Amino acid sequence: MALKSASKNSGLREVAERAPDRSYAGLLQQLADADPARRRWAARDLAAHAAAAQPLVDRLLDEHDAGVVEAIFTSIETLASPAAVAALVPLLRSDDARLRNGAIEALASMPAATAPHVDRLLADADADVRLFAVNLLADLRHPQVPAWVEQVLRTEPEANVVAAAIEVLTEAGSTALLPALAAAQARFATDPFIGFAADVARSRIGSP
Amino acid sequence: MTVNSATRAVITAADFLKFRDYFHRKTGIHFDESKRYFVDKRLQDRIEATGATGFRDYFASLRFEASGIELQQLVNAMTVNETYFFREAFQFECLVNDLMDELAARAAGRRLRIWSVPSSTGEEPYSIAIYLLERWPGLKQHDVEILSSDIDTRVLESAQRGIYSRRSVSELPRAYLAKYFEQIDDDAWRISRDLVDAVEFSRVNLCDAADTRRLRDVDVIFCRNLLIYFDDVSRRIAADAMFDALVPGGFVCLGHSESMSRISPLFRMRRFADALVYQKPLQGEQQR
Repeated sequence: MALKSASKNSGLREVAERAPDRSYAGLLQQLADADPARRRWAARDLAAHAAAAQPLVDRLLDEHDAGVVEAIFTSIETLASPAAVAALVPLLRSDDARLRNGAIEALASMPAATAPHVDRLLADADADVRLFAVNLLADLRHPQVPAWVEQVLRTEPEANVVAAAIEVLTEAGSTALLPALAAAQARFATDPFIGFAADVARSRIGSP
Repeated sequence: MTVNSATRAVITAADFLKFRDYFHRKTGIHFDESKRYFVDKRLQDRIEATGATGFRDYFASLRFEASGIELQQLVNAMTVNETYFFREAFQFECLVNDLMDELAARAAGRRLRIWSVPSSTGEEPYSIAIYLLERWPGLKQHDVEILSSDIDTRVLESAQRGIYSRRSVSELPRAYLAKYFEQIDDDAWRISRDLVDAVEFSRVNLCDAADTRRLRDVDVIFCRNLLIYFDDVSRRIAADAMFDALVPGGFVCLGHSESMSRISPLFRMRRFADALVYQKPLQGEQQR
């Protein structure tokens, strides 16, 4: 027994069962296969098909295998298209925290395609959706983020959504947002948590 | 050109904390207070390189830049990219003290397979080979393949030539240097052909499913200090590739500043005496 050269045992070989039908139609069919390994490989290979965003998200709703879910989110992030964002946004209303958090993470990874949806999400009638939209801002690399955070600080009626915005501000805010922070603190003057969070944010941001 | 320190951007304690928290969240790399000088200096370098007016200006552009290019520049500046034999050897200790025995017990006579990616110029796969030959008694009963891949064909050629500098071999015990290397001049050692022949080198792009689908039945993956250079999506693609390449129960060793938990929920963390590694769940085990 010893160290063996892989080439003498053809270690780098094609996996035969993945070879058949890698067409778009074939992959969509395999996305519903009974074997999770086949579904996972179909999800990975669908990253090469721009039209696959909605079918991939549709599959998420019925998918229970964590490996397949992960591969689907990775492929959607790879697509990084307006269609991918449009397919993901409804997941912010999902009761399944794994889908919601996966959607937030995926949306944050495609800032250009996600940005046009942010205003509408921040104005949603459902406070939970507005909260998830602020959670999204925490990871969204987009020059508009400070303006969106300011808008939440000045106009958002729910304290927990404002608290989430202060958290974003604590990490990434500049002194330009201090007046909006003061305005939020004044609007929620009787809420001790908002006061505490605002003080922490102010100390992190520093004085002008 | 030298830069007068008096003109350099001021990084306050609050700035440092703000940057440290953000950088840790994005990369998993944590800097404690003792690294303050190191961090400040590199931040000042990037502030000057980008033409930012100061820390706040720079941090705002870093934080909200859609392309992520500056974050990557900063990662490159904050990490030291160097390779040498027996680098971060605690993971090789873990390999021979724990991982190989556990894998061999499950292998039922199957040849065990280790994949080192990126191979760079070969120091890591050859270090693995030397550790197995010298420190794993199980090699008497089990065959082991070592695969090593890199996206860069020039470093693969260099790995197969197997010529190394004094610096590169400086951490090797003298006995191993004498046994596996031949000194060919003042600053050059040639590794034994037996070791070169024991490693199967191949060009693989870890982010290309067409490349990585060929790799399967791997028991241990060494993928150290590579993912920190990837963007978020590429990291996830690479993690998916590693997951599919591994046998159930197979292990991934990342660099000391990297964390799979931040990239993929599919692996579980295992803490051994020498190192912390990530494991693909065994069949029937619950994934998170």
